[in-house]
Amino acid sequence: MNTTVRRVAIIGGNRIPFARSNTVYSNVSNQEMLTATLQGLADRFNLHGQRLGDVAAGAVMKHSRDFNLVRESVLSTTLAPETPAYDLQQACGTGLEAIMLVANKIALGHIECGIGGGVDTTSDAPIGINEKMRKILMEANRAKGTMAQLKVMSQIRPSMLMKPAIPKNGEPRTGFSMGEHAELMAREWGIPREEQDQLAVASHANLARAYKDGFFADLITPFKGVSKDNNLREGLSIEKLRTLKPCFDKKVAPGQGTLTPGNSTPLTDGASAVLLGSEEWARANNLPVLAYITFSEVAAVDFFNKKEGLLMAPAYAVPRMLDRAGIKLQDFDFYEIHEAFAAQVLCTLKAWEDAKYCKERLGLDQPLGSIDRSKLNINGSSLAAGHPFAATGGRIVASLAKMLAQKGSGRGLISICAAGGQGVVAILER
Amino acid sequence: MKIIEVNKLPSALALNLGALRSSSKRPGVVEALPEVTYVRPRVVVDAKRVAAYAKVCGFSKAHGVPMLFPHLDAFPLAMMLFGSRRFPFPAMGLVHLANSAKLLQRIHVDDVLRIEVRTGELVAHDKGQAFTLHARALRDGDVVWESTWTLLRLGVRQPRGEPYTSQLIDERPLSHQADFYAGASIGRSYGRVSGDINPIHLSALTAKFLGFRKAIAHGMWTKARALATLMPREAVAQAEVVVEFKTPLFLPARASLWAIRSEDGALFEVRNAKGDKPHLRGRVTY
Repeated sequence: MNTTVRRVAIIGGNRIPFARSNTVYSNVSNQEMLTATLQGLADRFNLHGQRLGDVAAGAVMKHSRDFNLVRESVLSTTLAPETPAYDLQQACGTGLEAIMLVANKIALGHIECGIGGGVDTTSDAPIGINEKMRKILMEANRAKGTMAQLKVMSQIRPSMLMKPAIPKNGEPRTGFSMGEHAELMAREWGIPREEQDQLAVASHANLARAYKDGFFADLITPFKGVSKDNNLREGLSIEKLRTLKPCFDKKVAPGQGTLTPGNSTPLTDGASAVLLGSEEWARANNLPVLAYITFSEVAAVDFFNKKEGLLMAPAYAVPRMLDRAGIKLQDFDFYEIHEAFAAQVLCTLKAWEDAKYCKERLGLDQPLGSIDRSKLNINGSSLAAGHPFAATGGRIVASLAKMLAQKGSGRGLISICAAGGQGVVAILER
Repeated sequence: MKIIEVNKLPSALALNLGALRSSSKRPGVVEALPEVTYVRPRVVVDAKRVAAYAKVCGFSKAHGVPMLFPHLDAFPLAMMLFGSRRFPFPAMGLVHLANSAKLLQRIHVDDVLRIEVRTGELVAHDKGQAFTLHARALRDGDVVWESTWTLLRLGVRQPRGEPYTSQLIDERPLSHQADFYAGASIGRSYGRVSGDINPIHLSALTAKFLGFRKAIAHGMWTKARALATLMPREAVAQAEVVVEFKTPLFLPARASLWAIRSEDGALFEVRNAKGDKPHLRGRVTY
């Protein structure tokens, strides 16, 4: 068996502008968004008619009809229909995980090139019929004969029509929403509201500046008449953020909440994809290499029994990855930490500075230390752009790769937390 | 220091009529407050009254006896002081400028307290003559609660005493925490529980007679309502809260609570619905 491991190159990325749910993408399906994103990538790098090694992507909010979402999307693009594709799901870690899986196959020589990405919509939500009614219908389907079927169907009550099964943004095991978990984390780590609001202001300011500098010119294709992330508030002031009321405090910290709609990401629709390949493939196709994926790590925490913070998994993943890579937390030129909530970012950073936490929970002799905040999310992040769950990984990878290419050399850290107490992190280098 | 023991309180109506009659006072220049202390030697912390007070102010059972509760037992003594001939100023028209309260030990239902209210000092204010009253609650000889009220008589031209300074100068920015609703009847509800039936709180009509376009909320109710949200949900053994009253809260109204928290307390303001004008500003530590 061939065991040489190759370097995996990031050639480029594409995404559609992200939109707050129930706004401009209200009637757009996951498949439409992902198809447009993949097609934009194919257009940018002239992949028409090319058979890629793999296309891996996923959606967290998925209709049952979309069981082969990514394959159906690929078939709707101008990529060769002989391009294989598959779906995966790891909550908000989907995008980065998809990219890692494609990268792994490239690294091992199984494929030469591939695309990893993700899509999500909460506007076009998959609503199911009431569970009791569903069981009755299934039973009716099994019944033999009209009379038997009618007898089963007579169990349906009008109230069942009024109570569909709605997807919930909450942890099945704890009954709390993600925002409530993040509020608990903010209280545990003592993250003041003002600090969270400041991070949100910075995210919007940095994203606005990046748009002005034309940073996204070759990273975004317009879609449905939208050319800019519509959650971005240019000139957002800290005073405005201070006027927002806490929104996740009722159950977990009544009257003492610090998380508001301004320092938490909104429900968003959008899609992203990243083109990866081996260096030989990139050279053969005359394609530029922006950066390389060198390391990745996944971690999961026991947020249920051991009551670890739901979104603290990246705090565990990063030191494991740094250990394998033989570098320190400070050895990066860029930090891209997904801003699920400003509090989540700040809790993670505080955890890395905390000697007790690093020793007891992360098993480290020394705390990881602080990062240089001026290198954090310098072109804005999820608080400003929005966060279609599975699409954030692709957004971050493409942006960071371009930042490294613009700088010419360097190293970037990606950290993404996910529902279910998981986290995916990676290192990009050039 | 003259000490006046009060074993049976006059009715709330009698206290308020006394205050009304005091309008005929013409003090002239007041150089100093008379030194007098009113004492209620035996007051039982009544469970029903604690529950009624907690309900109208928004405290939950978990809070135990709210830290401002002794104010209700001290207030009638202040009313007696205002109505008495020895006190120079008329009661009507006094503005409650600031109120600070300190809980030193936990207070329980059925505690027997000794309540004292004594005159304090004159304080010179831009708008007239301010003065302080000091209240204390003792249990078995130990001070469990203290409070200082700063009141202002408007219009006095050359006030005596040290100049008034705010204890709440703090530049830190506040964030919107919660909203609460002050219904038109809250003045009546709180008046019933506290015994403060000043007509300016009771209805728009009675308030109009005294120069206010609508009824205004009791400052002490607004203060308690804010604390109900800010205090931890458990009975505390020590706490301190300082409040300065700003603009009147006309009823009915929607008010917003703004605060910046630290580990052991919060700097807060109760503002109007829009969030740009403060009704009161305070700091609590626990």
